[in-house]
Amino acid sequence: MRPDSRARRQLALMLAPYLVGLVGLVLLPAAVTLALAFTEYDLLRPPTWVGLDNVTALLDDPVFRVSLTNSLVFALVAVPLRVLLALGLALLLHRRAPGVGTARAAAVLPAAVPEIAYGLLWLWLLNPLYGPINQLLRTGGENGLTALGRTPPQWLTDPTDARAAIILMSLFTMGETFVVLLAARRALPRDVYEMAALEDATGWDVFRRVTLPLMAPVLALLAVRDAIASLHFSFVPAFVVTDGGPPPYATTYLSLFVYRTAFEYLRYGYAAAATLVMMLLTVAAVVVQWRVFRRYRAFYRL
Amino acid sequence: MSEAGLAFDGVSAAYRGATVLHEVDLTVDRGELLVVLGPSGAGKSTVLRVAAGLEPVTAGRVRIAGRDVTTARPGRRNVSMVFQSYALFPHLTVAENIAFGLEVRDTPRAVARERARTAAETVGCAGLLDRRPGQLSGGERQRVALARALVREPDVFLLDEPLSNLDLTLRVEMRAELRALHDRLGATMVHVTHDQTEALVLADRIAVLRDGRIEQVGTPEEIWRAPASTFVARFVGSPAMNLLPAGGPVHPTGAAPPATADDDLQLGFRPEAVTLDAAEGAAATVDRVEVVGEDAYAYLTLAGGQPVVARVPASRRPGRGSAVRVGVRWADVHVFHAGSGRRYRPS
Repeated sequence: MRPDSRARRQLALMLAPYLVGLVGLVLLPAAVTLALAFTEYDLLRPPTWVGLDNVTALLDDPVFRVSLTNSLVFALVAVPLRVLLALGLALLLHRRAPGVGTARAAAVLPAAVPEIAYGLLWLWLLNPLYGPINQLLRTGGENGLTALGRTPPQWLTDPTDARAAIILMSLFTMGETFVVLLAARRALPRDVYEMAALEDATGWDVFRRVTLPLMAPVLALLAVRDAIASLHFSFVPAFVVTDGGPPPYATTYLSLFVYRTAFEYLRYGYAAAATLVMMLLTVAAVVVQWRVFRRYRAFYRL
Repeated sequence: MSEAGLAFDGVSAAYRGATVLHEVDLTVDRGELLVVLGPSGAGKSTVLRVAAGLEPVTAGRVRIAGRDVTTARPGRRNVSMVFQSYALFPHLTVAENIAFGLEVRDTPRAVARERARTAAETVGCAGLLDRRPGQLSGGERQRVALARALVREPDVFLLDEPLSNLDLTLRVEMRAELRALHDRLGATMVHVTHDQTEALVLADRIAVLRDGRIEQVGTPEEIWRAPASTFVARFVGSPAMNLLPAGGPVHPTGAAPPATADDDLQLGFRPEAVTLDAAEGAAATVDRVEVVGEDAYAYLTLAGGQPVVARVPASRRPGRGSAVRVGVRWADVHVFHAGSGRRYRPS
């Protein structure tokens, strides 16, 4: 047997378990979802073909449109904030100094808390009356107002404040992004920074002209990855903390919309059509990611 | 103040608690090319990094162009450095790399670009201005790093083994260009290397560094003709100088220097000073012979077991295992104290 065909057989053998998992757990369900999107299905009766009815219904469904808008706004606001926060912490904590180890652990810890527990914790933190956040905001003020004489945010009852609360919750779970950026920063060559020091570059110049461009490929990839993930990590907070409210649908995101449609209203076909939209958004993000990566590959000879 | 381009005054430096420079005194004249030569771990790079302000001193003063810069930050010393890795910014074009130092110092962009072009022309990389470092060969990167160093007209150039990442042919070529560049600019340069040939060819003066101490400072000729210690003697020259105890098995011929009997001395002589057919030479056998073009190096063992290396013309090399008689003339012999290794100076 020729050695390269043997190597190919070994490769195939080793890839087989992954391939089985990929097909059985991802591709097949995706194909089923795709098919279901064109049917009506309630788990009791067999699915019936309805063609593009679900898609046209989605376009006219105000709840779906609100969910889509909510998801896009959430991604546009939360993702940049998360990446910026992680970048700031990574640049702050990449040096060795007393307390840095503890600070790094603290930055990662929220991402390690089980999501439901994390959600319940925030339910307490955000409570308008006895929650610590509003108690803090009320210090120095009178009659339950802030020091500036304003009403503290009604986190769980005001639509805008609730959306802000979900974004706030999502910020602290950027531990993984932080770890990647920390590693990326530490991998940057030291002599390039010494070079900049010899040229008397200011901290801002070093950040703008050296650190940021050198970390840009990683930042771009993390942002795209976070954008994809944001379709999912908005689910638990909305489910546990705000229950998709305040009414009518201030924090109903696509993931929650799909969940409700499928498991509460038993409209599997309709939910599959909405899932299809989520998949299209993901594909769009992956295309962006691919283009970004290709651009930087030419740049840095990756 | 003197005209020193760079002066170290009893400078000590430490790295992670261990002292790596011990009260180094060193003066580099304005316009001089000084090569700091030493084995790895001798503290060569630390000399540069202390001069640049990238490492703090633990004692002593550093002066650049007459100014005391001991506590000045790197950007305020007006030095430029070529790193061993070149430290080019991968995301910037060659032109932007060269102009970087000017632009962060708020030189107008057009002026910075123009000076970058001039600097690139000086070192012969003007054709590369729009490329990025990833698209350059080692030699081209080297030129860009040099252009970046000289664009700002610094008081001192610090070169940290800039030729060590190049292949031999290119290294020899760049060595000559570096020397020519120095002569053209009349700049003060400190060049660090572990390559003794590079040091001998490039330097106005050489400072030999060993374990954080200056072993000897002198012109290449002084270093070669009168090494101050057995360390310098053996570090400069390849193969290394032979060292044998005085009085024993090899007896040099000719006029001997005055020596006191109670001194414990060592004799050093270079491989090219050895003759293998001396009438009254010491008996030795040939262990192996290496032929390097016209020359051959014969590795010998004396009757007493001491090794000796001889350089002979390849056409007259001895056979392996043959018996030879090792001779050397006093004129070619360096005398050292056996204990301290310092050069013996008869009083």
